[in-house]
Amino acid sequence: MIYSQLQKLSQLNWSIIFLIILISAIGWGLLISAAGGDINPWASKQVIRFCVGLIIMLTIALVDLRWWLHFSYLFYGISLVLLVGVEFSGFIGKGAERWIDLTIIQLQPSELMKIALVMALARYFHSQTPPLTLQKLIFPAGLILIPVVLVLRQPDLGTAMILLMVGGGLFFVAGVRLWFFGGAIIAAGASLPILWTFLHDYQKDRILTFFDPSQDALGKGYHITQSKIALGSGGLWGKGFMQGTQASLNFLPEKQTDFIFTLLCEEWGFMGGAFLILLYVGLIVMSYRVVMTTQNSFGRFVAAGMTMTFFLYVFINIAMVMGLLPVVGVPLPLVSYGGTAMLTLLMGFGFLLNVGLHRTLKIPRLSIGLL
Amino acid sequence: MSERENTQFLRRSLCIGVFQVCLILILLGRMYYLQIIEGPYYQLLAEGNRIATRPLVPLRGHIYDRKGIPLSHNETSFRVVLLTDKRDELFDTLETLATLIPLTEEEKESALKVVRRKRGLDSVIVKDNLTWAEVSTIELHSSDLPGLSVEVGSARTYPEHLKGAHLLGYVSSPSEQEQEIDPLLTIPGLKVGKGGIEKNFDTRLRGTPGHSAFEVNSQRKVVRELHQNPSLPGEDIHLTIDSELQSYAQEVLSSHDSGAAVVIDIHNGDILAMVSNPSFDPNLFPQGIGHKDWDELRDNPFVPMTNKAISGRYAPGSTVKLFVALAALKAGLIDKDTSIYCPGFVSVGDHKFHCMHSHGSVNVTRAIAESCDVFFYEIGKKMGIDLMSSVFQDLGIGEGGLEGFPQVKKGLVPTKEWKQQNKHQKWTVSDTIMTSIGQGFMLSTPLELSVTMARLLSGKRLTPRLEGKGETSFEDMDYDRSHLDIILEAAQQVANSPNGTAYRNRIFQEGYEMAGKTGTSQVRRITMEQRKAGMTKTHHLAWKFREHGLFVGYAPIHAPRYAIAVVIEHAGGSGSAVQVARDILLKAQLIEKGQ
Repeated sequence: MIYSQLQKLSQLNWSIIFLIILISAIGWGLLISAAGGDINPWASKQVIRFCVGLIIMLTIALVDLRWWLHFSYLFYGISLVLLVGVEFSGFIGKGAERWIDLTIIQLQPSELMKIALVMALARYFHSQTPPLTLQKLIFPAGLILIPVVLVLRQPDLGTAMILLMVGGGLFFVAGVRLWFFGGAIIAAGASLPILWTFLHDYQKDRILTFFDPSQDALGKGYHITQSKIALGSGGLWGKGFMQGTQASLNFLPEKQTDFIFTLLCEEWGFMGGAFLILLYVGLIVMSYRVVMTTQNSFGRFVAAGMTMTFFLYVFINIAMVMGLLPVVGVPLPLVSYGGTAMLTLLMGFGFLLNVGLHRTLKIPRLSIGLL
Repeated sequence: MSERENTQFLRRSLCIGVFQVCLILILLGRMYYLQIIEGPYYQLLAEGNRIATRPLVPLRGHIYDRKGIPLSHNETSFRVVLLTDKRDELFDTLETLATLIPLTEEEKESALKVVRRKRGLDSVIVKDNLTWAEVSTIELHSSDLPGLSVEVGSARTYPEHLKGAHLLGYVSSPSEQEQEIDPLLTIPGLKVGKGGIEKNFDTRLRGTPGHSAFEVNSQRKVVRELHQNPSLPGEDIHLTIDSELQSYAQEVLSSHDSGAAVVIDIHNGDILAMVSNPSFDPNLFPQGIGHKDWDELRDNPFVPMTNKAISGRYAPGSTVKLFVALAALKAGLIDKDTSIYCPGFVSVGDHKFHCMHSHGSVNVTRAIAESCDVFFYEIGKKMGIDLMSSVFQDLGIGEGGLEGFPQVKKGLVPTKEWKQQNKHQKWTVSDTIMTSIGQGFMLSTPLELSVTMARLLSGKRLTPRLEGKGETSFEDMDYDRSHLDIILEAAQQVANSPNGTAYRNRIFQEGYEMAGKTGTSQVRRITMEQRKAGMTKTHHLAWKFREHGLFVGYAPIHAPRYAIAVVIEHAGGSGSAVQVARDILLKAQLIEKGQ
């Protein structure tokens, strides 16, 4: 038993794991710089969390894929209940407090949902026979929209965007006809004014600020203005490790969390930023190889969903700190300080590695019950 | 999983992949734009965020007289300043300070006001010129006074005996208007020249401010000092003034209510002394003048704030006879021996122009020495105003002199055009007659008069100067040397012939004798009634109606060097002006001989 587990471990896609560790290590370096050369308070905690996350990732990777297929709806159900629980249990503080405390790692149901939605959709599309008629799409559309609405009410714009786009992406690769997307976009456009009323004032401000940050350079546009100054002043090679003046003199807000990419670019310049983006691209390409080579439907939907999620994290965060998107509170994957996003991402990669391990496995399109 | 399903999945995944590659390229492009193309711009902004500067006040240049004697000092002064990066605790700190040293509500409020306005790191001066006791009290309690510190500055002082406010001017803090025009003047502790030399040479004296650069964090608290760019002290100014003569002239002049005197070296135009009386001590100003002193200066009837040597415009009176005679000689209307009979008056139409008394038959030399008006009425009538004014202008009246020096005014040489434009009347013979004895419309300043004297002596188009050394070359004027000599001979007789109008107040010491021409300047015409009652002089009238006394002269007569013009306001005659000129000219020669 143990031998067979070890054998499976050795068969994992180690280049993916290596890239994950490399990117995370870059993050630790940046956290040390952000703390003025100290591993406390951020880098040390981040390393411990990463180790825990890595164990969880490997554990998920080694379990039989069919087992995950079997429990995917249950997983979705539990996540949904937790999400509703957060919504109604009343321990939502102001704005962004939406945690469930598991002592070592705080868990955010909305993060869990990012994994669960991919699993549930993968299972659903795995079991469907083409053509995908409109009736067949009502259930998966519900799977996407219910958590999106709940998350928006929290309100967490970033997660809602990711859920919606990953869901849409899976619809797309599943072979849903293109006119469906056209219709969805029109419907979304029509509901935008309604959506706007869901938003908190600070979120509206952030979106308005995005369109004209200079209008209020010392107020609400301060974050993005200072972020662009920090990033731009890095130049080609950057100011050097711990030499970022914008970061060390506290002009750069949230330098250890959402704006850590700015810190990287200020201290390591265009070359540093481009290098990290290159590593992300490498990781995404590796993940696509898993998607392309997997021979069972469930597996490749899961892999595709996880890859898209990861990509969205990278894109939204970097576009946000460079002023291309509103500040919606999406961390830079594996690099930003914080436990929940890292756990989500490592779990996601756990499933991706799992799929890679079981890529040749044939899973019949059986109609199992909901559980 | 059918083959069709499979290919569709792969194709669509590829689509998403391509889409993602595009998005990544957008990110890289944006990064390239921000960091490489706009990089220098953002670097500038980051530096602006990071660096704040504190200006360093330059030391003001010194003013020296012609012998290198300093006429200004920068004395060390102590002031308590507030560093604006610690503005939070400001109010309490000022209250604490007020318990330690005398601090008025006004001073507190102005400090608070300035702090609210400032964004940089400059300090704000709370109180200047602390005493030693105050300095040590503040140092002792420094832990209770966050943000306050004692700074060493410099205070400008001037030698008291000079009473040199007119000549030297003074410095004071720039006004808000001046600060708006030149933001450099907002530097705390920087003073600008107000009046006199200090203003005339302000930009050269001021120097170049430096600055210290500090690294600050986002709360604008100082993290560390980065570098210092020291200030450059201002240039020293070496004047042509002889401070000993200046101080002596001021003293001599101060025995009269109000007046002015200018002494020029005829070899190079150096102004050796330029005084206006009453004067005041410029030391009153640099630290801000008190209300009492200010009111006293402002309400004084002898207008001490005005520099009469350059801005006092007086009718030159009989002093112009020298110039009118020169004009007549030049025009060939008279020669050395031409005689004119003076019956004591001249009639033009039904108006009589009077002389002091009947001089009988006079030539030009006697006419100048005894100041016969009728002689000049007659030659004035003959030559007409055009020729007369052109000679006046040639000699320097209406030029002003000392371009750019504060308060400098120009005299007035009346012409036919001038009268038409300003009075809208035709020029009359009476106007010419009045002008030929320096009355009527004509005006000149003491500085101009001293320049005309210097030009008569040198025969060159000399201009006065306050700064500079050595010989200067001036162009020759178009006058016959023999004509000039006739005029100078007459001027010598004024002071040295027993009939001369200045004979009583001549210089007795042999070898030091002076020459010149007296003049009186009517403030109000003597009425016919008064003349009938036997009044020809005004010294017993109320002060402000008395005539001004003037003297234009030079010394020594055998080797002329010093040209002088003296005006004593409302002296009621020229005697006191001659006395003042005599004393100053003698002193100038004694200083030259080292006595």
